[in-house]
Amino acid sequence: MVKKAITVAVGGACVSAALVLAGVATSAAAKTAAKSPTSVSCKNPIQIGFMGPFTGPAASIGDDQLHWGEYFEQIWNATHKLKINLVQGDTQLNPAIASTVSQSFASNSSIVGVIGPAGSQEVTASAPILKKAGLGFSSGSATNIALTNGSLKGYFFRDVPNDGVQGPTDAAYMQTHLGVSKGSSVMIIDDQESYSTGLAGIVESALKKAGVNVDRESINQKDTDFSSIVAKVTSSTKVVFTPFQLASQTQLLAQQLKAQGKTAVVFASDGSFDSKTFNVPGSYVSFFAPDVTTIKADNAVVSAYNKVFPGGTTPFGAPNYVLAEAWAQAATKACAAGKGTLTRAALRAAFAKTDLSTTILGTPVAFTPNGDVVGAKFHIFKIESGGKYVTVA
Amino acid sequence: MATGDSEAAPTTQPAIGVDEWVASHDARRDRGVGPVGTAQRAVDRVPKLGWYVAFTLAAAMVPLVTSNGYIIRVGFDTLIYMLLALGLNIVVGFAGLLDLGYVAFFGFGAYGYAMLSSSQFHQRWPTVSVLILVTLATAALGFIVALPSRRLIGDYLAIVTLFFGQLFVTVTNNGDRITILGFTRGYNITNGPNGIADVAPFSIFGHQLETLESYYYVALIFFLVVLSAVYLVNNSRTGRSWRSIREDSLAAELMGMPVNRLKLYAFAFGAGVAGLTGTLFASLNTAVFSSDFDTPTLITVYAILILGGAGSLGGVILGALVVNVTLEVLRTPNHATWIFFTLILATLIAKLRPWWVLGAVIVSTFVLGLVVNAVVTAINAEWASGHGAVRGELGRWLDRFLPIPPDPMKVGNWAFIALVAGVLALTVVRTLWRNLLLPVVLYLAIYAWDARLAFEPSITRLIMIGVILIVLMNARPQGLLGETRVEIV
Amino acid sequence: MNWNLFVSELVAGTVHGCVYALIALGYSMVYGILKLLNFAHGDVYMVGSFIGFGILTVFGGATALSIPIWLLLVIMFAAAMLGGGLLGVGIERFAYRRLRDAPRIAPLITALGVSFFLENAALLIVGAEYQSFNSFSWNPNSSGVGQLWAIGITLPGNVRLSLAQMIVIAGTVVLMLALTYFVGRTQLGRAMRAVSFDRQAADMMGIDVNRVIAVTFFVGSALAGAAAIFNGIVYQQVWAYMGFQAGLKGFTAAVIGGIGNLPGAVLGGLLLGLAESFTQGYVSTTFSDAMVFVILIAVMIFRPNGLIGKPALAKV
Repeated sequence: MVKKAITVAVGGACVSAALVLAGVATSAAAKTAAKSPTSVSCKNPIQIGFMGPFTGPAASIGDDQLHWGEYFEQIWNATHKLKINLVQGDTQLNPAIASTVSQSFASNSSIVGVIGPAGSQEVTASAPILKKAGLGFSSGSATNIALTNGSLKGYFFRDVPNDGVQGPTDAAYMQTHLGVSKGSSVMIIDDQESYSTGLAGIVESALKKAGVNVDRESINQKDTDFSSIVAKVTSSTKVVFTPFQLASQTQLLAQQLKAQGKTAVVFASDGSFDSKTFNVPGSYVSFFAPDVTTIKADNAVVSAYNKVFPGGTTPFGAPNYVLAEAWAQAATKACAAGKGTLTRAALRAAFAKTDLSTTILGTPVAFTPNGDVVGAKFHIFKIESGGKYVTVA
Repeated sequence: MATGDSEAAPTTQPAIGVDEWVASHDARRDRGVGPVGTAQRAVDRVPKLGWYVAFTLAAAMVPLVTSNGYIIRVGFDTLIYMLLALGLNIVVGFAGLLDLGYVAFFGFGAYGYAMLSSSQFHQRWPTVSVLILVTLATAALGFIVALPSRRLIGDYLAIVTLFFGQLFVTVTNNGDRITILGFTRGYNITNGPNGIADVAPFSIFGHQLETLESYYYVALIFFLVVLSAVYLVNNSRTGRSWRSIREDSLAAELMGMPVNRLKLYAFAFGAGVAGLTGTLFASLNTAVFSSDFDTPTLITVYAILILGGAGSLGGVILGALVVNVTLEVLRTPNHATWIFFTLILATLIAKLRPWWVLGAVIVSTFVLGLVVNAVVTAINAEWASGHGAVRGELGRWLDRFLPIPPDPMKVGNWAFIALVAGVLALTVVRTLWRNLLLPVVLYLAIYAWDARLAFEPSITRLIMIGVILIVLMNARPQGLLGETRVEIV
Repeated sequence: MNWNLFVSELVAGTVHGCVYALIALGYSMVYGILKLLNFAHGDVYMVGSFIGFGILTVFGGATALSIPIWLLLVIMFAAAMLGGGLLGVGIERFAYRRLRDAPRIAPLITALGVSFFLENAALLIVGAEYQSFNSFSWNPNSSGVGQLWAIGITLPGNVRLSLAQMIVIAGTVVLMLALTYFVGRTQLGRAMRAVSFDRQAADMMGIDVNRVIAVTFFVGSALAGAAAIFNGIVYQQVWAYMGFQAGLKGFTAAVIGGIGNLPGAVLGGLLLGLAESFTQGYVSTTFSDAMVFVILIAVMIFRPNGLIGKPALAKV
């Protein structure tokens, strides 16, 4: 009984001590809240944070992004006096971990800019922390429309067009070229990630407005078998729209459709733009740039990249190369303007004015005030026999 | 031979027939001799409460000595994990029920707070009432989940709770299109994969919590309150009956304990703690998503709990510190390199006797390195012209011993595979062969690190955690602060 | 009655169920002997898949095979089963042996540690990209729909059952019969059953317990290797984290059928596969996971020891 009383007493003392300290600390914190912006010297390598899912279920996307970024770092550092250095932050596509990683970037005074996060969920989770720290951050794969509604103006940028551009383009092409009209059937399958559900939702509403019968289905990114969904595809289904993030899932779905003798055409979004992985003839893919692998100059880049990082690439990789390029160029400009020193605010402002006339994406890259890429346009590709991608629109 | 005598003079002669002294013989023999033994005895003399007070003071000092937001954030995350592990400790450690769906309660608490304090349903309730309501609701949910599970034991309970956990993730991920059996239109309850975003921060007595430091203190206070509550419950009749269920539930039932009801209480209590933690989590992150509450989080909480010792309160603190802080520290390549080399050195020092063998092994590793590098450079200078991943002074120094080709990925992979084979071989061979093999394995370790592992710190981090888990659990199966138990299967 | 949909879902569920059943068998065997939930089992399955993929690449890759398909399949099975088995034995020897008498929760975390290690070592060595068996193009002479998928029979309801799917179903039946014979009729199988009843007594009767446990792990992991090749032929995809989900499903199937019980594991696997297919086909693909969980929870409530599990006699 006495022991219990002592325990309670000491416990109470601890709690009150903690409370007192809390009061002291919060008042102290309030005073030191406003910190002056730190600046880094341009003589040292410029540290750029790189957030992405490098391990975990989405590792295939994140690793590819990281390798393209690192490849640019190697090329740039070999030919420029101003060096850059990418600091990795593995988020495992978990928004809570993304918060912690962005906090680590924010508190690291030598980091002046961030590439990433990769997923729209993670952008939402990290935005308050990164914005409070004055860091500009740019994503090569977060396409949720809401991210560039103005609340992150000047802080968030992306060099891939958002779902609001891709959705209507795809829906329009289906109606004009694939025989989808009032009364015909289309199946839309999403993979339960925000990239996919956003795009699927836009296409669904566009088609429904035109009077098309839409059958909305769903898979999981961890699924390896689509026979059950394929069985639901009827002979009157004209198009199966599959905005998946993983090209291998699109390939498997298309193969299983063929194996079960279905005549529906597979139409995929930019996540499946990968001629090595997705190559079932007769399918369609939409992508925001003319084919990277057919531009002569890019051939050299891609084969050099494959030498350093063998094992294939995904469509999410090249945009991160361009982002690293944009940050490097912005750092050069800001260092020159700041006479050898660089602050986060100055780099952010220089990044917002990025104007790359040629990139390996095949399109010029510049940003609108809200952070989207200027002149976003989607091209439609058809897969011919042999797995070749041919531009049709 | 009254037992009173033995407590006065326990040292010299074993007193025959005195139970306590004889019974503690094994424990005394296990204790080390020399300085380590003295240190162990000194540590044992400190009362348990003293450790908790020391921990509280140390934790409270953290935001005062550093203004680095990242460190405070890691401290906050560690406190969240400690809270979760504490709740899980009640279910797994005290009552012995394997609950694999625990993170669903965490998520329920977080989503509950988010739905009542954001623009999802346009509600902004006062914080204190939300906290109480959400904690009670999550406890009720735990109660409901445990109801059909009463008849299930062991692994069957595990599977049903696992289903429930997965069910939660699926429902919240697709919760923007919930229909009642397909008849009504889709209702948006959880906003699907986009999550619930603008969650309001805590507002205690009219004062909104804005800074990271204030959240850290609130988390610390929550933790202390829950810790005290759990400690008091543990020492009460309910706690003792939970422990008896864990040891042998059939015997407990025969002794007249309401086993089913106690299981329900354990579940509900654990779920309530998780719900409370969820609210804290949601308010700091200002956003909740379904992927926050999936299996990887569950695995981390379990690793923390069992590494620290299931059933031990101090173990929860130690486990969370070890697992979470290690995970974060290993993110930075430089820190990871130092930890890697320190761990190798510490293992060698702890295991290699006599001292001259240790010296010989280290020296022969250097010599081996110089020889190999010289030979490879002589054969083909290009094969050694690349750079390792380790930067700075240490990196330049390592380049002299390690022949790294300009494209180290393939060679690094082979070195890694050889390293794993070598380490496994080391555990089976006899002493003489082991001492001969050690320099080779050490060299392979350094080579694999510099040529491959340090290039991918995110992947290496997880490999190292996996190895640490295997080694620690093999060395101390009861957990760091757990007590050895004999399980009746 | 839409026969086409019904038979399609039946076929899809059965094939998937066969793969789950083989993984579940490995779980059940190890659990029966050691009362251990081997969470690293899914990663043995993953390594088996990579072994198969490696062999495919060595012999020319999907579109340029240099040996006949039947020979390729034989080599892949042999290598994956052997490799998986050896890996399982290695894991037992180095990670689990010392924990045989520890409380059951300790090997759980060790298994998780092994799982982390294997998954991320695979990520490091092989890379994060998804690889594909691409059995649709297996044809030594041309590309397109390969022999495994072009050859097949048509079932009632106008549903096509291809050679690849028939191989999976037949192969599972053969392996199950072989396993039943092995456990029921051979000396080693008898020893396994004895050890699972009472390890100490078996030891005292002169059975080499270490060897028997090693053989159990070998057989269980070899079955996972076979499942990996089946998965590769029908479902194509191979990547470093595939073991996680497959292991979870296999564990679910094993427990549903009654853990420790071999016919139960197969039944559980088939039930899981069919439940998934039919809910996806008839109810909704979005909530099919949720519905499957509800079905399985219902099964567990009515049969708390699994479908054909026997209530364990508790020693008091």
